[in-house]
Amino acid sequence: MKTTLLYLHVVFLLLLVTAQAAPAQRPDQLTFPPLEMVFPSISEHQTVNGMRIYLKKNDELPLVDLTLMVRGGSIYDPLGKTGLSQWLAQALETGGTVLLTPAQLEEELDRMAAQLSVSSSSYSFQINLSVHQRDLNRAMELLADLLRRPRFDLERVELARQRLIENVHRRNDRPADIASRYLAAAINPGHPFGVEPTLDTLTSLTVDDLVAAHQQYFQPRQIWWGISGAIDEDEILRLIDKHAGDWEGGTSGDYTLPELPDSTTPRITVIDRQLSQTTLLMGHRGISKDNPDLHAVRLVNYLLGGGGFNSRLMREIRSNRGLAYSIYSMLQPGRYLPELFIVSGETKNDGAIEVVRMVREIIEELRVSGASISELESAKKSLLNSFIFAFEDTHAVVTQKMRLQFYAYPDDYLETYQQQIEALTVEDIMRVARDYLQPDQLHIVLVGDSGILQTDLEDEAMVFELVELD
Amino acid sequence: MYRRLLVFIVFIFFCLLLSPAIALAGGLADRVQEHQLENGLTVLLVERHSSPTVAAYISFRVGAVNEDSQQRGIAHMLEHMLFKGTTTLGTRDFEAELPLLQQIEEAGAKIDHLRRQADVDTDELERLRARLHQLQFEHRELVVKDEFSRIYAEQGGVGFNAFTSKDQTSYLINLPANKLELWAAIESDRLRNAVFREFFTERDVVQEERRRAVDINPGGKLYENMLATAFQVHPYRHPILGWDSDIQGFSLPAMREFFADYYAPVNMIITLVGAFQSADALALIEHYFGDLPSGVKVPAVTDREPKQRGERRIHVNFDAQPRMMVAYHKPTVPHPDDYAFDLLATALSHGRTSRLYQALVVEQQLVTDVGVFRAPGSRYDNLLVFSLLPRRDVALKDVKTALEAELQRLLSEPLTAEEIDKARRQITTSLLRGMRTNSGLARMLSTYQIIGDWQYLIEYEDRLDAVNPADITRIVTTYLHKDNRTLATLSRGGEQ
Repeated sequence: MKTTLLYLHVVFLLLLVTAQAAPAQRPDQLTFPPLEMVFPSISEHQTVNGMRIYLKKNDELPLVDLTLMVRGGSIYDPLGKTGLSQWLAQALETGGTVLLTPAQLEEELDRMAAQLSVSSSSYSFQINLSVHQRDLNRAMELLADLLRRPRFDLERVELARQRLIENVHRRNDRPADIASRYLAAAINPGHPFGVEPTLDTLTSLTVDDLVAAHQQYFQPRQIWWGISGAIDEDEILRLIDKHAGDWEGGTSGDYTLPELPDSTTPRITVIDRQLSQTTLLMGHRGISKDNPDLHAVRLVNYLLGGGGFNSRLMREIRSNRGLAYSIYSMLQPGRYLPELFIVSGETKNDGAIEVVRMVREIIEELRVSGASISELESAKKSLLNSFIFAFEDTHAVVTQKMRLQFYAYPDDYLETYQQQIEALTVEDIMRVARDYLQPDQLHIVLVGDSGILQTDLEDEAMVFELVELD
Repeated sequence: MYRRLLVFIVFIFFCLLLSPAIALAGGLADRVQEHQLENGLTVLLVERHSSPTVAAYISFRVGAVNEDSQQRGIAHMLEHMLFKGTTTLGTRDFEAELPLLQQIEEAGAKIDHLRRQADVDTDELERLRARLHQLQFEHRELVVKDEFSRIYAEQGGVGFNAFTSKDQTSYLINLPANKLELWAAIESDRLRNAVFREFFTERDVVQEERRRAVDINPGGKLYENMLATAFQVHPYRHPILGWDSDIQGFSLPAMREFFADYYAPVNMIITLVGAFQSADALALIEHYFGDLPSGVKVPAVTDREPKQRGERRIHVNFDAQPRMMVAYHKPTVPHPDDYAFDLLATALSHGRTSRLYQALVVEQQLVTDVGVFRAPGSRYDNLLVFSLLPRRDVALKDVKTALEAELQRLLSEPLTAEEIDKARRQITTSLLRGMRTNSGLARMLSTYQIIGDWQYLIEYEDRLDAVNPADITRIVTTYLHKDNRTLATLSRGGEQ
């Protein structure tokens, strides 16, 4: 008995010493127990009047989160009325309901410590409401009221318009905003994707426009609810039915998507800002989610500039050369129409042209030589092993499911995601890099000290246009 | 550290959240396990099995506030350098690399020395720069780029990052729950065997970071000027990244010294939130971190900000629409007035019915946005800051006058019990919201532990309850007066 104990003690000590003397293994040679991955279940419902509902309970905290999506948004704003959907969002958020003045509604929400926000994006309005469990009943009643019977209080609606006008006045405060405005206009001229609200469009909008837009888009058939938190599913369904079950829809809006225009001729645009750093934005048209190469494109972007320190842009331009703090690429697939492929970064003025040249070379390199097997495997492992984080947060799980269905992704999108990533080969990478990345088609916007930029561009015999900031 | 943009904005976010959590007292607080290893390392664990993931924070009670004038910005630079690998990670052959690293260090130090001479020998400087470039080029062959990042990413890690604030430096990652040992192995390796490679290149990265956060960003520029004016003595006045001219002065020996002095278990807090068994996690931490030498505590900052005697003004000429910040000195936790300030700030600016939003945005329509927050840290006496974006054609001085009138109104029409109650509810509910994610909860706990003790969270509700309308009036009279104020404005051309 005693011997055994002593023996164990010695073994234990030895183990300790071994463990501490030198890490015999590199951290990446450790082995790990398998991770069980379960797709969280979400309960889905549809009401008689056509509203879609996605629910998931998690009562660890006494909070309820609601996200509503409503089909509509800036893509449907007629040219000349650019800004209408943003205005509608703000007018809903601040304009009260037929039953409650803005002040009364706000008072009630603030007393509950509820958070309400309404925003608009390309294809949808989004309403977020976060509320304490104890206030859920009343909050649902107020929310339904807001959807169905907004007041559009004249003073508040005017205030909301003024706020958008202030954004126009401040549109040149940040170089990144200037760059994205010019890039969007070059790639999608005269299209909702390529225009921003102006003083003209904003001042010409009327309250009638608001009311009409609300009637057109806020129809039960176009409304999707994602709710999570400390909920009882039956209770939620009962509340939705009580407050919105008798809501009858009218004629739906026109959801025709305006066709994308031809881009302007790619060129380098220089905009003068007397600052110590140039903001660069480069881009051309990208893809939509219906593209069969969706996953391969995602991977190519990871390798190029979407994978943080594991991407080539970051490695070369930041880590090896110290030319930038932030440099990345993005190839976010459009939900319906193709959106943009961009490369974005900032560097000292006298480094900007070099960074432009490097970005083009790095893209070209990926097209010509593709990726090595180890590089591809590393990227695949990252996408596959981090997939679990798509399901970490309950509300994100619910809204993800809702979003995928709202935008008509394939039903098995999540279930087959890993398989699709696993199947990708180095040949796919090279093919897709060649098909979707066109360094000679890049529109390039440089916002910085034009004196330095101009000299460097001329030295490199690069053609550019110096434009006056609007 | 990729997204560790705008360190100070993150900090503002902290400050907003800083008013702690009621529900914690009833719920999650029971689930926080606190341990202290023999070497002084503090460990906070919260088991949460809703998803097979873990958020891991390692925080050091050292930040920009602990720098002296010879080393401003060094805490942040060190944070960058700790992403460069160890003697085994990030290198193809450390033995072969070492002599090159030494030559690079010598060449770089010579250049730095030469640059500081009154009569710079430019030819010599050019020769040395060419040599440094050549050495760096050769060195690259031996480096495995950003290997921490690659290993974590391949194993499914997300949000691998770090941030430096005035009060602390933190290193964070979210991992699938089965990879906790990977975290312990990598993080303990970087504490033991860090190699500061690619130092001179990284200085340039930080220079670009500063340009991005301050030089081209009107909000950042104004904030920096405001702090440097409100504080004359206390190190809270200095930017976290250092001043522009500080950055090219960072040296490797200073970096090593700062690392050796302060990155020790007595100044260190590990916070894990997620799916693990606490006993296992603790054993793992003990195994990987338990034998680190305890070290000495970071000395307290002894600089005292003298009482402000008279308003200070600063104007920044910047090619952007006008903006304004107004700051008042105030005490920090655990001073009882700090709790009253939480309620006051919330009643003034949280939500659409808050006093300033109502008065300045809705009724008088002078500004588009108004925010009230604490800055720039919480370990030492800090500021209550009002941030205002005037509408076009509204003069900054009119915004200032309107703000003054609202502060005056706090005396003629004190906050009512209802307003205070509403503010209390808003504070506690937003804290709950901050706890929804593993990383949110981990950040909250580690931040409180840095400032003092995470258990503040538990007493917090009672402390808020103890604040009455008379306390609010008292802090307004005591602190929010002109002599204690810094007025910082930004616009094109001169002060409006």
